[in-house]
Amino acid sequence: MKKVSRRDFLHLMGIGIGSVTAAHLISGCEPDIPPPTVPPEPSLTPLQPLPTSTPTPQPTPTNTIQPTSVENPYLVVTHGEDPEQHIRQGIKALGGMERFMKSGADVIIKPNICVPYHTYEYAATTNPWIVGTLVKVCLEAGAKRVRVMDFPFGGTAKDSYRKSGIEEQVKAAGGEMEIMLPLKYKEYDIPNAVSLNQTSVYEDILTTDLLIDVPIAKNHGLAILTLGLKNLMGTIQDRGAIHNDFDNRLVDLATLVRPHLTIIDAMRTLMANGPTGGNLSDVKIQNTVIFSQDTVAADSFATSLFGLLPQHLGYLVNAANRGLGRLDYQNVKIEEFNING
Amino acid sequence: MDKPPHSRHWSGRIAWVTARKITQGLALLGFTVLIITTGMDRAAYTLANFPIRLSPLAMLASLICSRTFLSGMTVSLLLIFSSLVVGRAWCGWLCPLGTILEIFQFRKTKKDTRIPERMRAAKYGFLIVILLSAIFSNLTLLIFDPLTIFTRTMTLTILPVFDQLFTAIEKLFVSIPFLSNAVYRFDLLIRPVILPVKPAVFQYAILTGFFFVAIILLNLLAERFWCRYLCPLGAFLGLFSRLSLFKRRVKDDCAKCHLCEVHCPTGTIDPQKDYSSDPAECTLCMNCLRDCPKKALSFSPTFSRAPRREYDPGRRTLLNSLLVSVTLSALLSIEWIRKYPRNHFLRPPGAARDAFSSACIRCGLCMKVCPTGGLQVDLSQSGIEAAGTPILVPRLGYCQFSCNACGQICPVGAIPLLDLKEKQNAVIGKAYIEHDRCIAWSDHQTCIVCEEMCPLPQKAITLDSGKFVAPDGSSITISLPVVNREMCIGCGICENKCPVAGEAAIRVYTT
Repeated sequence: MKKVSRRDFLHLMGIGIGSVTAAHLISGCEPDIPPPTVPPEPSLTPLQPLPTSTPTPQPTPTNTIQPTSVENPYLVVTHGEDPEQHIRQGIKALGGMERFMKSGADVIIKPNICVPYHTYEYAATTNPWIVGTLVKVCLEAGAKRVRVMDFPFGGTAKDSYRKSGIEEQVKAAGGEMEIMLPLKYKEYDIPNAVSLNQTSVYEDILTTDLLIDVPIAKNHGLAILTLGLKNLMGTIQDRGAIHNDFDNRLVDLATLVRPHLTIIDAMRTLMANGPTGGNLSDVKIQNTVIFSQDTVAADSFATSLFGLLPQHLGYLVNAANRGLGRLDYQNVKIEEFNING
Repeated sequence: MDKPPHSRHWSGRIAWVTARKITQGLALLGFTVLIITTGMDRAAYTLANFPIRLSPLAMLASLICSRTFLSGMTVSLLLIFSSLVVGRAWCGWLCPLGTILEIFQFRKTKKDTRIPERMRAAKYGFLIVILLSAIFSNLTLLIFDPLTIFTRTMTLTILPVFDQLFTAIEKLFVSIPFLSNAVYRFDLLIRPVILPVKPAVFQYAILTGFFFVAIILLNLLAERFWCRYLCPLGAFLGLFSRLSLFKRRVKDDCAKCHLCEVHCPTGTIDPQKDYSSDPAECTLCMNCLRDCPKKALSFSPTFSRAPRREYDPGRRTLLNSLLVSVTLSALLSIEWIRKYPRNHFLRPPGAARDAFSSACIRCGLCMKVCPTGGLQVDLSQSGIEAAGTPILVPRLGYCQFSCNACGQICPVGAIPLLDLKEKQNAVIGKAYIEHDRCIAWSDHQTCIVCEEMCPLPQKAITLDSGKFVAPDGSSITISLPVVNREMCIGCGICENKCPVAGEAAIRVYTT
């Protein structure tokens, strides 16, 4: 074999590095990089505030969601002690998981796993069995894979996943815990933003076939309550930017990241010293789970569990005003029942 | 095909050198993998600090200084016993720093006449100074223990640099459309195992790197300069090696051909003394065994004490070292910082503030395991004496409420092993709000980040409400954060997350 001289070697290296750099430059220099396409709007129904007293929920079918009958309830609220039955019967009442996904879909579940400080009993993180059952239900409906992820604000994801008990349940159910690594965050423009024009979002959150927002309902100093909309802050990189002009910026984010389904865990709710918690005396057992395609409506209903009105939360009012969902949950078709079994 | 006639009887002796090189490679790999995986997962901390506990120098100095015996220290007896049997084989076969110095061997000329043999005494002096200083409650010079050098440099410099390169290459390839998915999958698979989620940043990382490079550059003066003349651990093992069982012996059929002398990495083979060597210097590298055409060498068991050398430590070395130690202690005691202690200078949770410098062996493992990157190396916040010890820098990382990793990893208990409940009550400092710079107090805008972040179950930061008059004359009500210093443990997450640029508007001070 011909011996490669140093000069030849350098030439080859030069060509190699040059072509990689060129590819890099070309791909990086497209004129006016359009913001990566936002996935098809999930069916956040009545975009106009509905003054009518007759609820007419019209879930718009999109390419990921099968056509639904008009009879499906807008909100489902379940009461009972068994988290697994909550999810199974709640999803069924909402029309079944098949309504939200096709077979072979890629599903992301976004619970609240904010810190690795306490176990689920302290109600700072979402109930692990609720998340686990949800994974099972998605897989049973034919999901190709189900990933569960959150970006904790204290400690590492690894520790938080473990401490919350969610990792154990998700793995047992056949799902994956994914660590949200910085490489996959992309800067997105937010069209029609009031205050937050750009933010870096974990790409898969926006491109997945089905995004399920599974917050735990709890107290929060700034937001008053952290529910479905507030839980979306775990999908972006720079949370600090949201804390300023919070009530507008959170809604700006909600126009970009739109979960297809919101399930609020109010089995155990943290009534004070949130969002981190640590006192069992601050935890109120409510044994309730709320389901809706409309995050705003689900959040609005959840305020009642804390003796509040949706109007008390500035960001909910703003979200409703900007057509993201309904504040008047009393006027929609609610199916509320006690789970059996 | 005919084999060269001599290949048969040579092969066994070449095998020794090959075996050594393989052992060195595996050992270096092992030490590297161990330090990379340390703290990546909360398991097997006992194994993770094993390399540090191997060092009899660090363990003995710590024992003298803290007067506390820990059962983990007994691991270092392994090295002492091994030197009684096979001399400084540790240096030639296992020591990670030794292997690195062998890799970066610039100089092929073996016998360096410019450096006098007496220079070898330096390492003994160094060793005695370290041990005497330990009696005077000073452990500063343990930054020169080869095992701490290796761990510290890997943690503070080499791994963070590797992380940056790794990330840069990934970013380059992720921009190529058809590769991006593969890169994402690779990143997800590899990074959580070997690197922190966010690249680690350490203050004085460059200085630590220079220190390491300087040691390597000493190789320009002579092969394995550090091991021959400076290494205090080598000196420690050398003292025992004089009694070692397996020593190099030259038989009568030596042809005085110089070959062994030429390839001796420590230059201890002396033609003037019938090509004999000093067992306190010999690393049993087996090069001479390989090179001897006459098979005139053996490493057979001998019960004897090595003859005294001109550079061996004696009464004079001891006296000089005593003088140096005393001077050093005196010098350190005139540091101005002792009269003016910094109050924004925090120790790891549970660590004694004043005595910490006399307990810490400066291995840097705590900085490796700290999940937030808050534990940083100190250079002079509390005086040069404390160089190399860990401090908590909240702006870079906070003490995570449910983590006690530093106490678990510390090989000498300088950071005490606290259970989580105890750690959560260990006061590191107390937070103070600088009202003039606080967004809520000064700008009258809504910001409650410090309250939100406070991990205490009852929140040591609470919200008060204040009424202010806005520029347009209207009255506004703002939530104002207030620190309850009775409760505050000074974990520093408030300081870390404070959105004010530069120095935070809430800072943790020692009390």
